[in-house]
Amino acid sequence: MTDDKIADEDILRRAAIDRSTRLPVLFFFTSGAVWLLVAVIIGFIQSVKFYYPGFLDTPWLFFLNYGRSNPAFMGALVYGWAIQAGIGVAIWLMARLCRAEVKNPVTLLVAGHFWNLGVLIGVVGIFAGYGTSMEWLAFPKAVWPILLGAYSLVVIWLITMFMRRESGEVYISVWYILGACFWFPWVYITANVFIHILPGAAVAKAATNAWFLSSMIYLVLVPLGLASVYYFIPKILGRPVYSSQLALIGFWGLAILGGWTGIQKLMGGPLPAWMPAVSGVAVILILVPVLAIAINHHMTLKGNHQLVETSPTMRFTAVGASLFSIFCVLSALCAFFSLGKFTQISQTTTAFQLLAVYGFFTLTIFGAIYFIVPRLVGCEWISGSRIQMHFWFSTYGIVALVGLHFIGGMWQAAAYAQFDAPLENAVSAGRPYAIGVSVAWASIVISNVIFLYHLGLMILRLGRRGEGPALLGHQHHAA
Amino acid sequence: MSSFRNFVLALAATFLAPWLCLVVIPHAKMKAQEILTWEDQELGTELSYPAGTPNIFRQGQAVYAREGCASCHTQMIRPTYLGFESWRPDFGKEGNRGNPVRIRETRPGDFLGERFAYLGVQRVGPDLSNAGYRHDEQWHHAHLYSPQSKRSFSVMPSFRHLYIKRKVRGQRSDNALSLSGELDPGKGFEVVPSEDARALVGYLMTLKKDQPLPPWLLEPNEEGEENAAEDGNQTKEG
Repeated sequence: MTDDKIADEDILRRAAIDRSTRLPVLFFFTSGAVWLLVAVIIGFIQSVKFYYPGFLDTPWLFFLNYGRSNPAFMGALVYGWAIQAGIGVAIWLMARLCRAEVKNPVTLLVAGHFWNLGVLIGVVGIFAGYGTSMEWLAFPKAVWPILLGAYSLVVIWLITMFMRRESGEVYISVWYILGACFWFPWVYITANVFIHILPGAAVAKAATNAWFLSSMIYLVLVPLGLASVYYFIPKILGRPVYSSQLALIGFWGLAILGGWTGIQKLMGGPLPAWMPAVSGVAVILILVPVLAIAINHHMTLKGNHQLVETSPTMRFTAVGASLFSIFCVLSALCAFFSLGKFTQISQTTTAFQLLAVYGFFTLTIFGAIYFIVPRLVGCEWISGSRIQMHFWFSTYGIVALVGLHFIGGMWQAAAYAQFDAPLENAVSAGRPYAIGVSVAWASIVISNVIFLYHLGLMILRLGRRGEGPALLGHQHHAA
Repeated sequence: MSSFRNFVLALAATFLAPWLCLVVIPHAKMKAQEILTWEDQELGTELSYPAGTPNIFRQGQAVYAREGCASCHTQMIRPTYLGFESWRPDFGKEGNRGNPVRIRETRPGDFLGERFAYLGVQRVGPDLSNAGYRHDEQWHHAHLYSPQSKRSFSVMPSFRHLYIKRKVRGQRSDNALSLSGELDPGKGFEVVPSEDARALVGYLMTLKKDQPLPPWLLEPNEEGEENAAEDGNQTKEG
């Protein structure tokens, strides 16, 4: 056989694999994107209500008040969008990297429907007044078995794909996906069983809640996001990852330290002091694997930064990966008493969660979606400028939002620390920042309306055909 | 396949350690919380911490949870090295500007008997660890119905949906809210708290997380004179 023939067969095989993933992956992407739009709209509403409770406060809309809309928006964002889109990317990457077709994709669709049902019951349940007021576990108690069952089904499919892989080689992205397959059920079952089912000390449950939130970030969202980064940067550059040694350090460092994080949020709280202390140390030490990961990506990219200009996937991925490093550095800084006392219980909490979920994870997954969807529907994204708008509205939005929440939170906490000043000072200190945050939310809503519209056209196969891919900026950079 | 098995074993081994140390062991240890007893010097009686049966109003706590109060209110007073947060001038009954009442930081035993410790996410409104001392039930009802009527700068949403507006039949109800201005339900009508609102206020009134601690747990404050918990104690009795 000639090399050409092998290459042709290779392309056909890859197309066949892509085709087999089409139904489930597109399902997870579109339903995720719809949840994202729902989440950011509720996010905007709750951001206005944060400083102006009279907004949309008619008698029949009472359920939109901050206490319910805030957890509902977080639930929709994390479970409706983030994990769902992450599952979509994981299925596609697993099929590609193991060169294994998805067998019986209908089962994955069933899992996807159950997942969506769970999220729907959860979000509606919070609005209807069945929420639990626990961070990232605010869905009514009955929902978690549905979500767990649906996720487990996806995990079984991913693992069987891994078992059927063609060559012995295991890519870095596959480690991370397997990690997320393994960690999510463990973390999720632990949190729900210890908090909802087992009797126990109330304070230990609160600590488990804080641990759960952080573990969800470091051991579920970060692995899924990094799987995407580790695949797309080398893929688009057409060169291997700079160092597999650094990749190993990054992965195992995260695996060893990720589960220790989270409780630093409760420093000074009614817990044995070693618990927040250990978590604080873990959050600081995690900078070592994060540095390894960042250097690895940077060195892989070295000399090819112009691709960040032209390739939508590259641009979203690179910005997402940078925000990941920023998230980890800020978390480490706030693990110290001197800074942490201002950031621990203020608006800054929201800044951290959104920096991880939207800043890092969502932008990275957008990058992956811009790469994957054209290969599944057989046509190209319609307009580079629409992608560009999506990128700028999203990036400006999230950077402004995180910055304002971060500084506003410190300001607010500092005002609360002045104990002899009237309460009014403390309550109104964060207000100007909160108003700015609403503007940032509006920008994020706009960006996601554009994104969902664009994605919808692609799913309906109304994209461009027979031309090159949609690129950003000057088209002559096209490779 | 053995490499996959090793991979999974390594993942399990790395995760088992934090899982045991941060979740399983704390749950096991805190469940069997020791009750501390000591002889009080001044009163000459035996005291214990956590003291006696918890008086937390669980139905009210359920309303607290589902209305998302914990999104804006904490129940966590930190030690003074993280901020002095036990008292503010307009906190209500606790002390006054000249004689601020110091209340000790929150401790694990304060949540005895609760299903979940709502330590809080962010502090938009004031800390509620000792909200039970600040106002009476009427005040809480009026405040929940229209927070801005009590504090013009408040950003708390109205919880009108926990109240029932109804026609006065016969005599006006004892627990009807006294509302004025725009909020006045009109002649012949009254606004009364629902079951949920009464439970929530009942819960708020039980929030008194300042039980006396044994002397060996108390840390001297910056001046090294009196200590925080004793101050809290005196107000409670006085």
